[in-house]
Amino acid sequence: MSGFRANLRVVGQLGRRSIRQTFRRPQLAAPLVVFPTILLAIQTAGAGRAVDLPQFPEVNGFLDFMLAGAMMQACMLAGNTGAIALALDIEMGFDDRLLAAPVSRYSLLLGRLMGTAVMGLLIAAWFIVIGLIFGVEFQSGILGVAWIFGCVATTAVAFGAIAASIALRTGKASVVQGLFPLIFVVLFLSTAFFPDNLMLQPAASIAKYNPLSFVVDGMREPIISGFSGSHTLRALVSMAGLLLIGFTLSTFALKSRLKRG
Amino acid sequence: MSASSISASLPVIRSLVGRSMNELFRVPGAAIPGVLAPTIFFLGLTAVFGNLALLPGFEADKYQSFIIPVSLMQGAAFTGAATGVNLARDIEQGWFDRLLASPAPRPVILAGLVYSASLRALIPGSVVICVGLAIGVRWPGFLGLLVATVMIMGLAATAATWGATLAFKFKTQSAAPLMQAGTLLAVLTTTAYAPLPLLTGWLKVVATYNPLTQVLEAVRQGFVGDVSWADTWPGLVALIGIWVFFTFLALRGMRKMTA
Amino acid sequence: MPAIETHDLEREFEGSVKAVDGVDLAVQAGEIYGFLGPNGAGKTTTVRILTTLLQPTGGRAIVAGHDVATDPGSVRRAIGVALQEAALDPLMTGRELLDLQATLHGIPSSKRTALSIDLLERVGLTEAADRQVGTYSGGMRRRIDLASALVHAPEVLFLDEPTTGLDPVSRQAIWNEVERLNDEGTTVFLTTQYLEEADQLADRVGIISSGKIVAEGTPAELKSQVGSPHLEIAVEGGTEAAVSAEEALGEFGKILPPKDGRLQVEIAGGAGDISPVVRALDERGIAVASLELVRPTLDDVFVDKTGEHLEGSTTDPEPE
Ligand SMILES: Nc1ncnc2c1ncn2[C@@H]1O[C@H](COP(=O)(O)OP(=O)(O)O)[C@@H](O)[C@H]1O
Ligand SMILES: [Mg+2]
Repeated sequence: MSGFRANLRVVGQLGRRSIRQTFRRPQLAAPLVVFPTILLAIQTAGAGRAVDLPQFPEVNGFLDFMLAGAMMQACMLAGNTGAIALALDIEMGFDDRLLAAPVSRYSLLLGRLMGTAVMGLLIAAWFIVIGLIFGVEFQSGILGVAWIFGCVATTAVAFGAIAASIALRTGKASVVQGLFPLIFVVLFLSTAFFPDNLMLQPAASIAKYNPLSFVVDGMREPIISGFSGSHTLRALVSMAGLLLIGFTLSTFALKSRLKRG
Repeated sequence: MSASSISASLPVIRSLVGRSMNELFRVPGAAIPGVLAPTIFFLGLTAVFGNLALLPGFEADKYQSFIIPVSLMQGAAFTGAATGVNLARDIEQGWFDRLLASPAPRPVILAGLVYSASLRALIPGSVVICVGLAIGVRWPGFLGLLVATVMIMGLAATAATWGATLAFKFKTQSAAPLMQAGTLLAVLTTTAYAPLPLLTGWLKVVATYNPLTQVLEAVRQGFVGDVSWADTWPGLVALIGIWVFFTFLALRGMRKMTA
Repeated sequence: MPAIETHDLEREFEGSVKAVDGVDLAVQAGEIYGFLGPNGAGKTTTVRILTTLLQPTGGRAIVAGHDVATDPGSVRRAIGVALQEAALDPLMTGRELLDLQATLHGIPSSKRTALSIDLLERVGLTEAADRQVGTYSGGMRRRIDLASALVHAPEVLFLDEPTTGLDPVSRQAIWNEVERLNDEGTTVFLTTQYLEEADQLADRVGIISSGKIVAEGTPAELKSQVGSPHLEIAVEGGTEAAVSAEEALGEFGKILPPKDGRLQVEIAGGAGDISPVVRALDERGIAVASLELVRPTLDDVFVDKTGEHLEGSTTDPEPE
């Protein structure tokens, strides 16, 4: 068990390092929060009249609807940024030092993902505070807020793991950086910014079955209307699926990197 | 400037533009992000907010015709900001000292940067227009296209002077998010998503006074209706005004580099 | 009129760091002036002031007859600059760089092509001319950078640590080129951390430490200030042999106090005096155990003036 404890300590330390790193490189950290916040502010005020459209879900305001999408966007960016840092570590040979140390190889990955989870929590806190300041009514109260924290951290880790698998496979920060546009493609093809019944085809149909939509809808529900069993369950299953995919991909990627030496 | 000094400046501008083009054509894939971002936003915003066109008070019958000028401007602004980022890198790595130590006049050096941004902006611009026409954007007419092209090149130049101002001030690529966020904010806090009467809250106020609203409306006119001088000159005046302002700041910043 | 003249030149940075602190220079036209000093001494700051990249916060600097503060344009037209970190664009080819540099100096396009060909040949980069600079070795980068500083045949050439980090062969190539340029009449202001470079290349050397010039003169003058060349000789046999040897050596120059049991004698003629000394000892039947010609170095001068050794004053630079 002491080996396990030692590994845990390493994961903790690497996690702290990755958080410190994020704050020391403001050019990496700032876009995470700044861009989703700018987009949230502008889309809320720019497309705010959308709530007047027939068939728009019953909401207190457009911001209430948009908040979940902004958080989703930010935590995907956070996952990707963590992976960029991992790729930079690989480029600079830092990971070799870690891999040569007598600790579990997975601590390299887990430490990074722990940092991403913490980033996710900070992101959730930031947007919840913004929501509270600008009059969002969290229908499910504290329980809903706790659920949102959990969702954002989990999703950040899941996307962090998927992006990390690419970092581990390629070892190139520029490749991971190239995923940014893809993040927006996936977001636009989900219900992150608009209800699927009001989107144009073919995006509407894709959004209907995009697992990301399930997660966003699950996060949105306690804000705009209160928990309903089915959406919550769908979100849970989707997050579990994303986590499973992320960990499987990154584990295999780590193994093949170790094999290559 | 006399005629002879202008003719002496042209080769310098051409050389600097040529160097800036190397970045696009000699680095595989370098042109992709600048093209991809506005294209994805154009398609994405159309897919997501397309039904806003159903709201009463919308001038365009199709949202893609309404939103395409935003993506054109976003592509141009992004290109201009990227010019600033590249300049910051050149300063950081010492390359810019080569220009500063040369007898080339400072405004000519700035002109080389700015003009390369104008030219580079044509790349995302053409792609977005082609994609737009493919998904049913209204044909703006040659006049409308001409006005849009002039505005987009002007906006890229203006964004480049903004980026250059920050590059001379901070002298590090870390200022990149500031350059990009600044241009994104400026372009989007306009009538980007909806006509002025349909905007809500603070954005309605900001968009009313943001000079880029005039530029946007000038680019937009051909896509949503007829082109008129009355819808064109305010955009031109706004662009020239901002451009002069940041050119002044950038030149002052460049002079301070050697202080 | 000197090619470079400064009076009480000063540059203070924020946090009141005086990087250059009262430097007086008078570099004559046609000279190679070596500015020798350790890391952080103020060499680059001085060069940046003289090349109009930085304004002095005190004093005056005249380069090629123009004041750097009031007439920077004229200074820029007269000087060539190769800065410390060869600032090159990895995506440009060598030829393109020369073409750009020529354009910046207003050289008409009709002359640019031939000029590039000449300069590339001159620095031995004809074959690599159309390769991107990113593929060049360290030595090639310095050479293309040097060539780019020469497009307008400058009166005064500034080289900031042109050979730092280079291997001996590349370094020699740069030295040869600098000497050739100087033979053609170019004034060269060169900074270095390597005493060997200053010693071999410079007509006159200024030693800078903490922003101040602590010694100046020809390498020979500077070294003679701290001592003269002498022989250190260990002889076999006892005291008798030593006394006899001292007598013999006295004819060649002043006897210095012995060091670690070895005799020391100043010799005026340098290496040329060695064989007569050996012969004289031989004639007296004295067997020489070891013999070494010791010359004072610029490092000794630096130690004498500052109490510290020059960093990086080793003969072999670190490989890149
Ligand atoms: N831009 C600057 N701001 C503050 N201090 C500086 C700056 N440039 C140089 N210095 C300081 O001035 C001193 C001299 O630096 P420099 O001229 O680069 O020395 P050298 O070229 O001899 O190694 C150093 O202490 C350095 O830290
Ligand atoms: Mg230096």
